[in-house]
Amino acid sequence: MATSFKQIEENLKNEARKLLEDGKVSLVLAYGRGYDEKHPVPFVAKIAADVESIVFNEYCTANMARYLVRYPRGTKMAVAVKPADSRAVVQLIQEDKVKREDVILLGIPVIGMKNSKTGEVIDSKTTCGLYNPVLYDVLLGEEIHGQPVVSPYDVLAQYEAMDKDARFAFWQKEFDKCIRCYACRKACPMCYCDPCFIDQNKPKWGEKSPQSHGNLMYHLTRFHHLAGRCIDCGECSRACPVDIPLYLFHKKVARECEEMFGQAAGKSIQDKPVLVNFRVDDSDKILE
Amino acid sequence: MKKTAIQKISDLAAQLMQKGTLIAPVQEDAGFNFREVSDARQVDLNFYNTLMSPKSAFFPQMEDFVRYQTGKSVLEAVPVEMGLKPVFLFGVRPCDVKSFEIMDIHFSGTGAVDPYWQKRRENTVIFGYAFDVNTPADGADFYSTLGIGAADPEGSDVFMMKKSDDLLLKAVTDKGEKLLADMSGLTDATPDDLKYFDETVAAGRSFKTRFTCVEAKSIAKKFEDLFHKTPFWERISDACLSCGVCTFVCPTCYCFDICDETLFGQGTRRRVWDACMFTDFTLEASGHNPRTKVYQRLRQKVCHKYSYHVRKYGVISCVGCGRCTRNCPVNIDIFSIVDQAMKE
Amino acid sequence: MVFSDSSVLLKGKYMSFEPKILGIACNWCTYTGADLAGTTRLQYPQNLRVVRVMCSSRINPSFIFRAFQLGADGVLVGGCHPGDCHYNTGNLYARRRLAVTKKILEFSGMEPGRFRVEWISASEGNKFAEVVTEFTEQIKNLGPQTKFKIVQ
Repeated sequence: MATSFKQIEENLKNEARKLLEDGKVSLVLAYGRGYDEKHPVPFVAKIAADVESIVFNEYCTANMARYLVRYPRGTKMAVAVKPADSRAVVQLIQEDKVKREDVILLGIPVIGMKNSKTGEVIDSKTTCGLYNPVLYDVLLGEEIHGQPVVSPYDVLAQYEAMDKDARFAFWQKEFDKCIRCYACRKACPMCYCDPCFIDQNKPKWGEKSPQSHGNLMYHLTRFHHLAGRCIDCGECSRACPVDIPLYLFHKKVARECEEMFGQAAGKSIQDKPVLVNFRVDDSDKILE
Repeated sequence: MKKTAIQKISDLAAQLMQKGTLIAPVQEDAGFNFREVSDARQVDLNFYNTLMSPKSAFFPQMEDFVRYQTGKSVLEAVPVEMGLKPVFLFGVRPCDVKSFEIMDIHFSGTGAVDPYWQKRRENTVIFGYAFDVNTPADGADFYSTLGIGAADPEGSDVFMMKKSDDLLLKAVTDKGEKLLADMSGLTDATPDDLKYFDETVAAGRSFKTRFTCVEAKSIAKKFEDLFHKTPFWERISDACLSCGVCTFVCPTCYCFDICDETLFGQGTRRRVWDACMFTDFTLEASGHNPRTKVYQRLRQKVCHKYSYHVRKYGVISCVGCGRCTRNCPVNIDIFSIVDQAMKE
Repeated sequence: MVFSDSSVLLKGKYMSFEPKILGIACNWCTYTGADLAGTTRLQYPQNLRVVRVMCSSRINPSFIFRAFQLGADGVLVGGCHPGDCHYNTGNLYARRRLAVTKKILEFSGMEPGRFRVEWISASEGNKFAEVVTEFTEQIKNLGPQTKFKIVQ
């Protein structure tokens, strides 16, 4: 029996208030009301009085972990995290972008999150499919048990079965829609590079203009940069104004990394990200 | 005034396609978008508003200017010919029509005339399309706050309005008059239609979207006063990702970048859209960047539209179409920023 | 002289097609191996354009994507055998990284045979010549690469 959104909101507000009043953190990353109920906005509470503006409902899909790197190192922060978001924080800790002792994770077990644009329920098709956060300091609701375990990679079967030319035509069509707004990059908690490769001129990795080849270079390279780091929150695809199914490619790369290297992103703070690690007995079969 | 049955809209579209290029809203994966129509049956007026604004009809996202070859003299570079056929921009909502007026200020109203914008503007016949005054506005729109009516015909060449199963077409300019006279298959409007048209235009003027009393000069002054109040701007920009979607979908944003893209010795100098929200928008050749923080960039965007623009040109650079709010990945509402500022 | 159609066809699908193949070779092993192939006068197809890097882990996957965009029909990467890297661990990172590159290329719809990674040591001049010959033949059969190639 999952805790109701209303109850989670109550718990979140209480925890946030306590943490701010006790001075344990200087900010709490949570959600606030937007122009209507269905469109909550990320909200940062800095004093106890701010806590009144915090909300939590099924439309709070934003991954709050992406704001962690904005604050100076050493800032004590609390962050409201859903399962995928907690993986993002773990990944950031692995990559030393934030220290474990500087962040307090307010874990939220969820079921039934909805996409504000389409009203669809968000499940393992477009996100990691976990119900409980992988790491937390405080759990704001009851752990969810007994749900059917659906692999987040099931959705790939249809695309892997496609003939390679059909698949290329599919991706060509999708990338042609891209307007190079870079919402995907900014929505992603792992895209914190400054400058991003695509903004560089010497060397110029890809063209700036929104043409087929520049778009392909941008997206393929981005998929590569997120290999073994993408925690499958699906925010990139939700942020995209033209609905490119980026999550498909990210899931594919995530699954390959899991199979080849035996490790999924953002699971344990003791892990090292897969591409900055190696095992002497990695099989040469992975290159076939 | 003329009219035609909505069912027969593809006939109208086909005629326009014979005369030139038809750009109309077409259904795509993510919503409706203005596209060059290749099949008259694609034209669909069953939409609220398009995803991207129609500014790309005059100010395309990518525009080639000059082709050159490296190693050759600059005098041998070839300017790209525009080669335009007449263009019909079909189904533009009143707020978007107003945006063209505001953009005209920048592209042709300040002394330096952008010949690409100018030519496209002259070459295009705009078919405006009234909002339905009997349906509540979308929650993100706020055009009535900026003095734009739901059925304002000003700015269009031909203004279209739905009347149950018919589409009324009124010529607003000489260009529109000439075109309508030249088209077949349109019936004359009845006196009843004319009355309906005027009544709807009037109803459009009092049609309320989200509304706050907005007076351009006082907003402009308020933002000037707030410029140095950093805590306000930091609070406002807490959620902002600084991605650039709002700029790209906005009908009145006009920043661009000129880049030279060369491959194998052949290159093109082209103009592409840029956004003040991008981190390196103000990155200078020295390496210094005056706007490294998100709040500085968001402050720039909001103040430009609601303050500096008013000071310089007397009009707010926003038409309340709501696209920024609808498409923002984190649901930020630019209008609420204005609201909050007024309350500071 | 008249060549019958069938004899022309027997030589491979694209008889007149000479592929452009980018070879990225690590300085200490593969490049030296290639050198050995040269000094022992081994014959192998001239389609390979070799770029020398100090270690296979210097290879940025974007090089591979960019190479295909710029018209390469095939890309062949050569490095030291895992465990024998001149810098101890470079090729161990490269193995993982290039494996991901391969998977990305495949999922995007690029023909899998166009990108290959081989471990060729400094003493394996023969292997170098064999690999290049085999790879060139494979690319000839696959034909010109059109999917990623930029058309201006």
